[in-house]
Amino acid sequence: MTAEVAIDKPVLRLARAAALAVAALVAAPAALADDAATWLNRAAQAARQLNYVGTILYQHGGHVETSRLIHLNDNGAEFEKLVNLDGPAREVIRSQGEVRCYYPDAKVVRIEPRTFRNAFPSLSPQQQKALGEYYAFRKAEAGRVAGLDAQAWVFEPKDGLRYGHKFWSDVATGLLLKARIIDERGEVVEQFAFTDLAIGGRIDREMVRPSWPPAPTDWVVRAAGPGDVELRDTGWGIARPPPGFSKIVEGFRALRGKKQPVAHLVYSDGLVAVSVFIENVGSAPHPTGLTQQGGTNIFVRQFDDHLVTVLGEAPAAAVRQFAASVTRR
Amino acid sequence: MGEEISRLMDGELDDEHLDVVCAQLKRPDGLAAWSCYHVIGDTLRGNTQLAPGFSQRFAARLAAEPTVLAPQRRAARPLSVVWAAAATVAAVSVVGWVAFGTLDAQPTALAKAREAAAVRAAQLNPNRTADYLLAHQESSPTMQIQGIGPSFRPATATAPAAGARP
Repeated sequence: MTAEVAIDKPVLRLARAAALAVAALVAAPAALADDAATWLNRAAQAARQLNYVGTILYQHGGHVETSRLIHLNDNGAEFEKLVNLDGPAREVIRSQGEVRCYYPDAKVVRIEPRTFRNAFPSLSPQQQKALGEYYAFRKAEAGRVAGLDAQAWVFEPKDGLRYGHKFWSDVATGLLLKARIIDERGEVVEQFAFTDLAIGGRIDREMVRPSWPPAPTDWVVRAAGPGDVELRDTGWGIARPPPGFSKIVEGFRALRGKKQPVAHLVYSDGLVAVSVFIENVGSAPHPTGLTQQGGTNIFVRQFDDHLVTVLGEAPAAAVRQFAASVTRR
Repeated sequence: MGEEISRLMDGELDDEHLDVVCAQLKRPDGLAAWSCYHVIGDTLRGNTQLAPGFSQRFAARLAAEPTVLAPQRRAARPLSVVWAAAATVAAVSVVGWVAFGTLDAQPTALAKAREAAAVRAAQLNPNRTADYLLAHQESSPTMQIQGIGPSFRPATATAPAAGARP
């Protein structure tokens, strides 16, 4: 709910004049926002449309993890297989929108609910505007990543409520080769990079099939039921989200082990997203506070009988601000 | 006390409480809790390689210090103890072992800290964070340019706890 306040006429005129001035100011970043949005769209298209096989290095804190990624676009149908190469075996299979996670040591297969993903195939005008207003987008140096000619691009934040992002994309195809999240002190919070990558080679359906049969008899299959994601008004809101963040999706989702569906609101500034989950937990106290995993900050607080969990690829200050201004409409 | 030291590590403590907690750090049990929480964080991050004799040298240098100062912010934010607790109880026992192996002073305080961590671990539902991460990532625009691979990486890394039998 937006707070409506009575405004007398001179103030209104002043506000209009100010709005015009602001409109003139934002006209310049708009062109830049177009560039940024165009670049993001190209990278997203490349990630979906191309066939590729590569090894990904993921670094966060003192951790280094490697995984193998195979992506196939078979006449518009997307298939993907991700296998981690260190630690206990994990496999994520995406097949035309359905995601299955395999945990062979625990003998568990998790079938993830249908995603919100198709709800917003491209950036809204509002998000494009936010991109230009809250990030300085520029072309950086040319270089090489995974043996391919790469072009670096930088999204530099204009305030302390978002991280800096640097991306390297393949010059020939636009595919993202490397991504880095940088905090306000210039430290790298997390980084993804292909260390080897073959684009455009022949990939069979066989290569993107899971390594285990659909449902091994002694495995536990945890499947999400139909109607697990329901897009609608939740009755919850964020009174003062950090500037530039607007709501892109809202709904309820059934999450494992929860009797009632959990309200899920997603806010975005065009580049990153922050999720707000609200669930009824009764009056029992729950652990609260701030947690960080790579570039993702997680803040948990209790709000009356509800547990509010905010998480996103944004600095702690931003996720806290979301959590602090949760309201019931 | 442990709660406040944990908040200090997370940079969540306001100025008002800072002096109080720093005073607690001057006491042996406060210092032990501080060390233990860092060892827990380091272990869960995989930073467990300390030079041989580190704790002795550290203790000697610490003893030479006139007072315990508020520690500087670390380059990488320490994982909060809440997050540490989200790991499996098994992980906590490994942590406890490492903590005992690394720090030879105040075993009682360390045991208490370990106990507290284990209790919190038992209370928390590790599935919650993993499920939230998965649900979040599919909604993120950054996900769209990275594809499933990179974005799902943190979620699958979390999953060992979530992958336990239901």
